Amino acid sequence: MRSVLALALIFILLAVLGPVLAPYDPAAINIPNRLGPPSADWLLGTDALGRDILSRLLHGARWSLGLAFLISVIGLCIGTVVGLVAAQGGKLADWSVMRTTDTFLAFPELVAAVVIAGLLGAGTGTLILALSVTGWMRYARVVRGIGLALKSRGYVVQAKLAGMSPLVIAHRHYIPAMMPSLIVVWTGMFAHTILGISALGFLGFGVQPPTAEWGTMLLDARIHIRSTPLQMIWPGLAVAISVLAINLCGDALRDSLAARNS
Amino acid sequence: MTPGILGLLLRAIVVVSGAAIATFVLLWNAPGDPAFAIAVARYNTIVPTDVLDQVRAEAGLDAGFWPAFRAWIGPLLVGDFGRSSVTGRAVWPDLVRALGYTAPLALAALMIGLSIAFPLACLAAKKPGGVLDRCAVAIASVGAAIPPYWLGLLLILLFAVQLAWVPAMGARTAAHIILPALTLGLGVAAALTRIIRSGILEARGQGFLPAFTRRGVSRRSIARDHVAPHAAIPVVTVLGLELAFLLEGLLMVEVIFGRPGLGGFLVHAIETRDFPRVQAVVLLTALIFVFVNLAIDIFCRVLDPRIGEPGA
Repeated sequence: MRSVLALALIFILLAVLGPVLAPYDPAAINIPNRLGPPSADWLLGTDALGRDILSRLLHGARWSLGLAFLISVIGLCIGTVVGLVAAQGGKLADWSVMRTTDTFLAFPELVAAVVIAGLLGAGTGTLILALSVTGWMRYARVVRGIGLALKSRGYVVQAKLAGMSPLVIAHRHYIPAMMPSLIVVWTGMFAHTILGISALGFLGFGVQPPTAEWGTMLLDARIHIRSTPLQMIWPGLAVAISVLAINLCGDALRDSLAARNS
Repeated sequence: MTPGILGLLLRAIVVVSGAAIATFVLLWNAPGDPAFAIAVARYNTIVPTDVLDQVRAEAGLDAGFWPAFRAWIGPLLVGDFGRSSVTGRAVWPDLVRALGYTAPLALAALMIGLSIAFPLACLAAKKPGGVLDRCAVAIASVGAAIPPYWLGLLLILLFAVQLAWVPAMGARTAAHIILPALTLGLGVAAALTRIIRSGILEARGQGFLPAFTRRGVSRRSIARDHVAPHAAIPVVTVLGLELAFLLEGLLMVEVIFGRPGLGGFLVHAIETRDFPRVQAVVLLTALIFVFVNLAIDIFCRVLDPRIGEPGA
């Protein structure tokens, strides 16, 4: 558990400090030195335009991890509001909200994100939009489920009878009770979004070059698989390790919550 | 709370139409001139404005939202997906041809996934917390974190470039399916192993099992007749959710391996703003997804008649 947390912290630190730690400008083109092997000067080698791969990875962490953080928090906010509306509103609100959620769930998220990002024009803004629009449903279901269970609890009923507004009840009673489950769902979605961002980047619908992002780096590296196979190892490894670390953190959180509840 | 089968069917129809209409609205409100993208894809060059106007008229883009909506939904209700804006060919036969590449890949990947995950999960569940169990869970966790496109590239690197055992790009021979199926299958296996394992463990925790043992029922019979059906329900349910993973993986893997399946079909249709083709793929995906999940719901009711009964 501790080592997993440490690994996740290292990655977060790298994402925050990446630009400071990077030895080179990630966009500095150096054609004579293109597709260079790892060496003392270029620890992970250089790409097809002679750019330092280590510097691009470090700068890319800010996009791949930072954007995933942002998008998963946006999804968390949308999902919580939607779930609360379903749980606190009447039968009609619940029905229409949950059918909308089902409609969004009725579609593989990444395929929907590809359609949205592809049609709205590739770019960071549409990437955020596409992945936020397709990434709120799990939170909504969790919030609604817990909300419905809480609705008939004595203290919630009394708060309602005492004339508290639904907003105050949501703030005082629903959200604190939901926080643990929401955090577990959030870690899962955070990891899921890292994969989504790099997948869209790899398809060319995500963050646009020359910005370094792990998925777009893989796309660039793919053509040189025969000549410099190492080039495509690094960005994929970065994605895999960060997803693994976050997933394991989520598992550990879930286990400790389950232990506390039982 | 769980609705009857008729209710499920109704819900499936609402969901599919919702997805189709949302796509149509999105297509019509996307920025940029779709006629331009269509014309570039059709003529491979930038065309003068009069040709552009002609393309716009042919694709029905000059009519406005509501006439276009009627022109799309009318034939669709009788099963006509329309014609491609770029090639002018009917969408349906091309879609079926693409599906002919995608379906075998999906099946092969599912087979590979199940044939790895099932024995691994059974071994792991034999002694929870043991060495084998920890290894299986670790492998599954790592497998779930590896992006499918990266795994695909790694397999190409190892088996097609370095060892030159199997072909990588395209779909000319039967051997071309090996690497993409393996890529996707390993991902499916990683996800399924954990689910099957916890399904078995949960089923084994059922209170009535010791009663069978004391009555002298053989271990094999307990596993087959009592543990398996209980473990099957969560596994089959999650299998439906895994379908999303499978469809997403198919999209990526087909693009990486250059297979002429639905994935490439969709990406190309989006890039060329070929609205009828995009809509057809979206609709087909939603249909497959919803009806597989519907079938799973019904199957679960057969396995466990308590589901769907009032008071359940």
